Amino acid sequence: MPDVQVLVNDFINKLRKRKIEGSQATSRQTAELLRSVISQTRVPYTNQAGALIDAVRAVGEQLIAANPVELAVGNIVRRVLHIIREEDLSLATAAVAGLGLSSVSDDEDDAERDNHPVLSAAVVAAAARSTLRPPSLQTLLEDVPDSGAVPHTSSSGGDSEGKSKSADKSSRSRKLKHDVIEALNELIQDITTCHELIAEQAVEHIHQNEVILTLGSSRTVLEFLCAAKEKKRSFRVFVAEGAPRYQGHLLAKDLVTRGLQTTLITDSAVFAMISRVNMVIVGAHAVMANGGVIAPVGLNMVALAAQRHAVPFVVLAGSHKLCPLYPHNPEVLLNELRSPSELLDFGEFSDCMDFGTGTASPLLHVVNPTFDYVPPKLVSLFITDTGGHNPSYVYRLIADYYSADDLVVQQRPPTAS
Amino acid sequence: MWWRSASFILDHRLQEDPPNNIASSSKEPDTLSTLSPPQTHSSFMAAADPFNPIPNPKISAYYQTRAAHTAVVTSDWLAQAQAAVGHHPDDSPAPQTQLLASPSASGKSFCVINEFNNWRKQPDLAEAVAAIRALAAVIRASEATTMMELEIELKKASDSLKSWDTTSISLTAGCDLFMRYVTRTSALEYEDFNSARSRLIERAEKFGEISCKARRIIAMLSQDFIFDGCTILVHGFSRVVLEVLKTAAQNKKLFRVFCTEGRPDRTGLRLSNELAKLDVPVKLLIDSAVAYTMDEVDMVFVGADGVVESGGIINMMGTYQIALVAHSMNKPVYVAAESYKFARLYPLDQKDMAPALRPMDFGVPIPSKVEVERSARDYTPPQYLTLLFTDLGVLTPSVVSDELIQLYL
Repeated sequence: MPDVQVLVNDFINKLRKRKIEGSQATSRQTAELLRSVISQTRVPYTNQAGALIDAVRAVGEQLIAANPVELAVGNIVRRVLHIIREEDLSLATAAVAGLGLSSVSDDEDDAERDNHPVLSAAVVAAAARSTLRPPSLQTLLEDVPDSGAVPHTSSSGGDSEGKSKSADKSSRSRKLKHDVIEALNELIQDITTCHELIAEQAVEHIHQNEVILTLGSSRTVLEFLCAAKEKKRSFRVFVAEGAPRYQGHLLAKDLVTRGLQTTLITDSAVFAMISRVNMVIVGAHAVMANGGVIAPVGLNMVALAAQRHAVPFVVLAGSHKLCPLYPHNPEVLLNELRSPSELLDFGEFSDCMDFGTGTASPLLHVVNPTFDYVPPKLVSLFITDTGGHNPSYVYRLIADYYSADDLVVQQRPPTAS
Repeated sequence: MWWRSASFILDHRLQEDPPNNIASSSKEPDTLSTLSPPQTHSSFMAAADPFNPIPNPKISAYYQTRAAHTAVVTSDWLAQAQAAVGHHPDDSPAPQTQLLASPSASGKSFCVINEFNNWRKQPDLAEAVAAIRALAAVIRASEATTMMELEIELKKASDSLKSWDTTSISLTAGCDLFMRYVTRTSALEYEDFNSARSRLIERAEKFGEISCKARRIIAMLSQDFIFDGCTILVHGFSRVVLEVLKTAAQNKKLFRVFCTEGRPDRTGLRLSNELAKLDVPVKLLIDSAVAYTMDEVDMVFVGADGVVESGGIINMMGTYQIALVAHSMNKPVYVAAESYKFARLYPLDQKDMAPALRPMDFGVPIPSKVEVERSARDYTPPQYLTLLFTDLGVLTPSVVSDELIQLYL
């Protein structure tokens, strides 16, 4: 445990100092950290899933607090929690099914088991299934079990007396951790290979003699365009430079080395050139539950230009960028302001920006936001590693990857209202 | 039975209206539709008896009740007349044979409709909850010995409830939800019929708590969307929206509310009363002033009488107009609705639903040649709505059909 704590503190420091750049790197490191946390957690004999969930929540809460704007951290924490619940559920249903068979065969051993052998199995399975799904109309009239009930029902279902039960339980305790770590390994694998999966779909969307517009630099977009190039599509790319970091310059250079015809333009020229463009393809920092996109600054303007000229606006995002939260006031709450030095040279402007002389506050303010919020109605298509989706379909993907109980990652119970 | 404030404002115009208002000829029986004083009974027998399972089909009982609960000045004189006559709705009168299906069914349908009426009159209780409680009473009173029989009885009761007021969507949705739950329960192979039955009754009774819990969940979910210094436009008196605003006020958020007057019920006056009690700054607007003030508004909050399959909502008349204005000025429209209001309807335009008419009072007599638009509700298509706050979570309009499919298919 102290070993893991050192790792956790290390990672928190890195997050706080913004030393990790990019959501892919952040997600991968978060997943690896949580994997070590899980493998080092001691699980009790009963209610193992609950213990794992508590451990992950405790660490996850600290991680999210270290960098709340980096949504990928929260996404991975919630994915891990969902994986734990899922694995526990599949083990429980397997155990119950096994016990159902055994209780039928052993029914002369215990008379009162005959009262509800089949009933308890079916009801337990149904109840357990319903805890994993988000609340829905179907479960409205049923009992709403509390979040600790998933291991509870499985252990109570397993409580129907059986001599084979103790053997089942010990094998189950090893299995749960093992299954969760396997699933986590798959998750890490998915995160690292998301670019390839997205790039595979490039050839369906980019056609011959097209003009593509992009802004700034995104590795996903680079791989996407190169994949289409390899399939012998010939097309041209307009790259907007993406002030103030000018990462568009790097992207333009990369594209040229791969043999693509590239044109570099300023951000202000986007509106002028958009009418000659067939499609806009960009990456994203995060995708919110309503289909809105947190993207590098300048992309809201590009999206508006694209809508004005009826150009499809395509967003490429790996599934680790999918966040189950709904944004309220994202321009302020999900944004980070970076250093003004990226815009202005402190040497020349020191007299305007100096706090020390005379007046209390300087007359020149510099605002350098990192992100922009693009509302869902401006996005035409999301391309994720699972395929292409409409913005209004994002809620389905979220239901697949996350559980409703994990939206608020807090250790202390929420104050009842 | 009628929960009203003690100040009993007799509106002279309302008293004079029945003889003067010749336009809506059915107005007279409407105002008496919820009780049957014996002396007028004979003349309005066919139209307006509450123990008659099918009230005047032209007038929506649902909207009458809503008006009575939430409007400021309504048929107070009715309550007075009711008290004067000494009529108690719980009395079981002689059965109205001409409008009952069969003598044996009359006893049951009687029970259900009576029971439903009793529950429905409580102002804090949602219509769907009243329906489910009425159906629970049917289960309790039933003499069936198998699940199949019970289901058939419930189906009959549910159908009679639905036909009693065809315009109320939450009533239909509540009945359907409960029937669906019953059929699924019977599929779980309970060996003992009595235990299954008691489980059904217990669940139905717990459903009433769900209604209050649902409102609190919705209030919690919407807290984040109300920020300090915002201006909220509210239309119609929705108990859910009131809960949302109450919770926000309790959390010490600073915001102000614009209330539309909400003709003809004038629900805005009532709502502004409630908000003033919470010390929330309120401004009343006439319905036509919405576009004028829309640029000062940060968000629009409405409730819903029903949420339809496309993700649109059916709500008090005027909601569509406000949503259109808000959409054209890029203001978000948020809907607060409990999940049992989801209904399997897909209206394609405004006239595609069962008409729900209600008497319109213009304050002056209208000549008989002039037609009056008396519909009480309209349909807002999903593209004008931003988000729905329900007890199932925050939803975009496209999620609604998904939820409905999961339930019914």
